[in-house]
Amino acid sequence: MKVIALIAAIMTGALLIYGIEEMPEWGDPNSPANSHVSPLYIQEAIEKTATPNMVTAVLADYRGYDTLGETTVIFTAGIACVLMLRKKHKGGGD
Amino acid sequence: MAEQFPALIIVVPLIAAFFIPLIGWWKKQLCYPWVVAVLVVTFISSLGIINTVMTTGKFSYRLGGWAPPWGIEYALDYLSAFMLVIVSFISLMVAVYSKKSVEKELPEKTVPFYTLFLLLITGLLGIVITGDVFNLFVFLEISSLSCYALIAIGEEGAPIAAFNYVIMGTIGACFYLLGVGYLYVATGSLNMADLAVILPNMYHSKIILVAFAFFTVGIMIKGAIFPLHIWMPDAYSTAPSAVSALIAPLMTKVAAYVMIRIMFTIFQPRFSVETVPVMTILGWLAFIAIFAGGIKALAQTDLKKMLVYILVAEVGYIVMGVSVANRIGLTGAILHILNDAFMMACLFLVVGAISYRIGTRDIHKLHNLNKIMPFTMGAFTITALSMVGIPPACGFFSKWYLILGTIEAGQWAFAAALLCSSLINAVLFFRVIECAYFKPMEPAYANDGGETHMVQRDEAPLTMLVPIVIMAAGIILLGIFSGNIISSIIQFAVPASF
Amino acid sequence: MLDYVIGKYNFWIYVVLMMIGLYAMMGKKNLVKKLIGMNIFQSAIILFYISTGVKKGGATVPILMGHAQGHGHQAIDVAGYLNPLPHVLMLTAIVVSIATTGVALAILILIYRRYNTLEEDEILKIRKDTGV
Repeated sequence: MKVIALIAAIMTGALLIYGIEEMPEWGDPNSPANSHVSPLYIQEAIEKTATPNMVTAVLADYRGYDTLGETTVIFTAGIACVLMLRKKHKGGGD
Repeated sequence: MAEQFPALIIVVPLIAAFFIPLIGWWKKQLCYPWVVAVLVVTFISSLGIINTVMTTGKFSYRLGGWAPPWGIEYALDYLSAFMLVIVSFISLMVAVYSKKSVEKELPEKTVPFYTLFLLLITGLLGIVITGDVFNLFVFLEISSLSCYALIAIGEEGAPIAAFNYVIMGTIGACFYLLGVGYLYVATGSLNMADLAVILPNMYHSKIILVAFAFFTVGIMIKGAIFPLHIWMPDAYSTAPSAVSALIAPLMTKVAAYVMIRIMFTIFQPRFSVETVPVMTILGWLAFIAIFAGGIKALAQTDLKKMLVYILVAEVGYIVMGVSVANRIGLTGAILHILNDAFMMACLFLVVGAISYRIGTRDIHKLHNLNKIMPFTMGAFTITALSMVGIPPACGFFSKWYLILGTIEAGQWAFAAALLCSSLINAVLFFRVIECAYFKPMEPAYANDGGETHMVQRDEAPLTMLVPIVIMAAGIILLGIFSGNIISSIIQFAVPASF
Repeated sequence: MLDYVIGKYNFWIYVVLMMIGLYAMMGKKNLVKKLIGMNIFQSAIILFYISTGVKKGGATVPILMGHAQGHGHQAIDVAGYLNPLPHVLMLTAIVVSIATTGVALAILILIYRRYNTLEEDEILKIRKDTGV
């Protein structure tokens, strides 16, 4: 089993590294990731959302729906622990 | 009002799930009516959405008013509206069914159970409706977390099965996230429509290839597509009845939907078919899945585990339909998503009812069920006919399209596999039907008072029986109207470049 | 070739971390070790994303300080601030990772209550002996 796990891990790693070859250099300011969608966030965050912190502007305004999903994930995990661990008659196991 | 349906369909179950702990710890009996009412509203919204799509064509809904790709948008076309109706209808039926089953199997845990139930449904609806790849990951995790917890409270052997599911499911979700990451590094965008525009210029790039591979493997793990389905038999068969009736039809089909979206909407079909031979690999994996699922099902004595192995084979049908990559095959695959969701839901509801009344799921002990539970066994028989593929039940029509699709692609082995599996299904279901209808009289369950008893009518309770009968009637109706469904919805749901 | 390794060494490091986590998830027998492997895997993915948002050449954190606030419509130099989008995505991913770890730990408590051990092969033996 350990051998299979090792082979699977090495193959996945090799596949990932195969894909790294064409990636932009680390820190390139003109990479697609840094020049397609982000410049608008940086330039317009303060005008449109009145928030100096750009990460907050994106998190709570442009992509606020993802934050609602994230809050739901926390709530789900909490209720899941209540569902699984609560013992009524023994004084509760948390 | 009508243009706000896309937002309502997610927000209503979400906020309702936040309210259930408050309501439930005030009065426990109010949970069930609240859940059913919320799901009725969801179902009506989904009908409203598909009505809008059918009259005015596909539309998109921007969350918060921000234009994509800077904001998140919902992409509502025929395929997602179709999936919304399926998910909301089946979850409504299972919710109606769940009252007695939860009372018996999980007596103290009604309130958190219904909360997670609604959150699971919200997650599934969110996956189907969204048009943004990272938003899909968030909803995938909402539904997965609820699923892990709901499975872990099942019967003996459930926690270890749930833990295996946690490990494998997290690997799947993280591979999906890696795929999103590689696409983001290469293109800078997270919106599905935007990616579909940017990517065709980059098909020679290695990053895109690796991203596609990780997407495919991640979704195969989540959707239990052979050979990455090994977490599924234990997890789905030891879960509580209401839970397995909800997740067995829906989780696999939603994963198949995500695969269709990735392969045909984000990456154009010519990439998925020509540049990478992924269709051939998937086709042969589906071929093995159909046989492996059928053969392993023959070896089972527990009815629920047998159904789970049949589910592996059914997912194989859908993947085979996707892999032949022509219009007829894809029509068959999408129609089979609808039919199989109904058939699997009906089967799991019947198994839950049998286990509620009789207490055992061993197929050799189900004597005289046609006299004890006539309507339930009638529904089981109709579904069995549909699984084998006998008209006018709906299973015949989807198998017909799948076989036509494989013949048109020239894959005679696949067509033969589809026919053979009908035979295997016939054997599997006839074993159960023979025992239930034709075996001689024998006490079928230990009665509470210990008295000897004549075989008497002891049908499943009404809240369980009504969904079962509705699903069985739905199977026949879907078969009769499958021509209409194909010509009005599915024909437009197939991606246009075929 | 050297450029391949040196220019993108951040990606190499994170891929190695991911593989360590993946091996631990699949190859270890103790259930808690599998869980820790899962955590390593997810953390490596989070670090991978964040490293794609870096801009060389003096970029600073994506917060507008002091003089750039207010009503001036001075052009905000895009190359002077880091890319905020990976940070946002990874805030959500960190929360998801914690939630999954929490649910998995609760399942481990259930397993421990039932089988009194957390080694996978011992649990399989107990299940086979009791016929579950």
